[in-house]
Amino acid sequence: HPHSCSQHPGTHTMLPLLLLLLPAAHGIAQLRYRPALTKDPQLEGLTTASTFVLDQPRCVFDDYGNADIWLVVALEQAAFNNTAAPGTPETAFQGFPDRVRAYMTLNTTLVNYPCPKPDGDITVLRVGSETSCAQEPTRPTCNGPLPGPGPYWVKFLALEGSVPVAETAWSEPIILRTAKSPNSISTTGSGHSAGMIAITTILSILFAILLAGLVAMLIFWSSDSCSGSSTFSKPESVTVRRYNTHHVYDQPAARL
Amino acid sequence: MAKSDDCVHILQGLLVFGNVVIGMCGIALTAECIYFVSSPNGLYPLLKVTEDSDINAAAWIGIFVGLALFALSILGIIGVIKASRTLLLVYIILMLITFAFEMASCITAASHQDSLTPQLFLKQMLERYQKSEPANNSDNEVTKTWDELMLQNHCCGVLGPSDWQEYTSAFRLTHSDADYPWPRMCCVLNAQGLPDNLDGCKLGVPGYYNSNGCYDAISGPVNTHAWGVAWFGFAILCWTFCVLLGTMFYWSGIEY
Repeated sequence: HPHSCSQHPGTHTMLPLLLLLLPAAHGIAQLRYRPALTKDPQLEGLTTASTFVLDQPRCVFDDYGNADIWLVVALEQAAFNNTAAPGTPETAFQGFPDRVRAYMTLNTTLVNYPCPKPDGDITVLRVGSETSCAQEPTRPTCNGPLPGPGPYWVKFLALEGSVPVAETAWSEPIILRTAKSPNSISTTGSGHSAGMIAITTILSILFAILLAGLVAMLIFWSSDSCSGSSTFSKPESVTVRRYNTHHVYDQPAARL
Repeated sequence: MAKSDDCVHILQGLLVFGNVVIGMCGIALTAECIYFVSSPNGLYPLLKVTEDSDINAAAWIGIFVGLALFALSILGIIGVIKASRTLLLVYIILMLITFAFEMASCITAASHQDSLTPQLFLKQMLERYQKSEPANNSDNEVTKTWDELMLQNHCCGVLGPSDWQEYTSAFRLTHSDADYPWPRMCCVLNAQGLPDNLDGCKLGVPGYYNSNGCYDAISGPVNTHAWGVAWFGFAILCWTFCVLLGTMFYWSGIEY
């Protein structure tokens, strides 16, 4: 991000004169920094249903060592007037979003945003992380959870005392996540996999063949007992009727 | 005729061999199904509430089918060696009944595996995890099972921590989104069971939270169960089919 001290050295002495001559609102330095959601590192909780994560404005407000740097969160850009004072009911978080369309929070001094950012440190601001003071009117600058999915616009504002001295550009609109009901998950109709269909079909066919074989067996058996044909021969299976011609009266006994 | 005698002996030998294999497979099936029924599978509470009451039916049927196959294979061996028509007829009929039961078990196991989709577990988790007024004990067990699962496998949710963001849930009713974007169990915990870095976990910084979903950890054991019961049973049934056809052919050739 471009340093704010990119001003021409010649205009440095002109600036206080201009500030004295012009109304205070027009004297606020417009820094070219645009607040944005953190891109590095990749965060799973970058936006949740009620919070979002911004990069800290490092190396942006270096010229304003005496100022308090505030974060302004707004539902409409036009709703915020730079002359609004923090900690008043007009900018209190507790009134957001019904009575108050833009609130101010997360104030700090430049000490907490040292420049340059040390490598490997994660320097982020989590907007919406303070749940304890969300309902406390005595804490109008609470960093409370956001009440809806937005879209929200944010910017940073530097105040010296109660005089705004610098502001960043407004961010791109930030939209938070909306949760669906679990009833929308459809658990039916995944269908049957190919494996199950294959098992069912093949086993049914095999079972049908076996049943057919059993029926054929039983039919074969009942017809077999009448015709008496066979493929295999057991030993001693041929019976010969013996005729006793000498003792006629013994024939009934022989047959038995 | 020596040649047909040889054929008979070969067929007898094949049938005895087939029955020996069936007997051994029956024992293996019984052992495997006893293992599945009795193993301390920590996922049982999750599967129980999927309203699929035949959860273990396939495994229970498998135990009895395995024992029946073993007993019938012995009967078959005796019947083949003695070439007794009655014994073999009894054998074939009982085998067909066992075949039908095992067929039912395979199809149940295969279709059960199909019904356990990620969406099913997701919906159940969202509706029951950390439910504040548990309707019955099974909700408590679901919570405990999920906590164990997420702790042991270092995972979060079914598809990922964003499950808790995309859908409202029973958990979300009692835990605010700003404080608990996802349950504490999704954080990387230290030896005392507390999050290593709570802010890192809430932000979703890689390394301080579990970023992958638990579905793989759930579906692994379930798929093993299904493969073991369904496909092994299917293989046994195909072999049994061949042996039964051979037995029917042998039976029809026996002299009465």
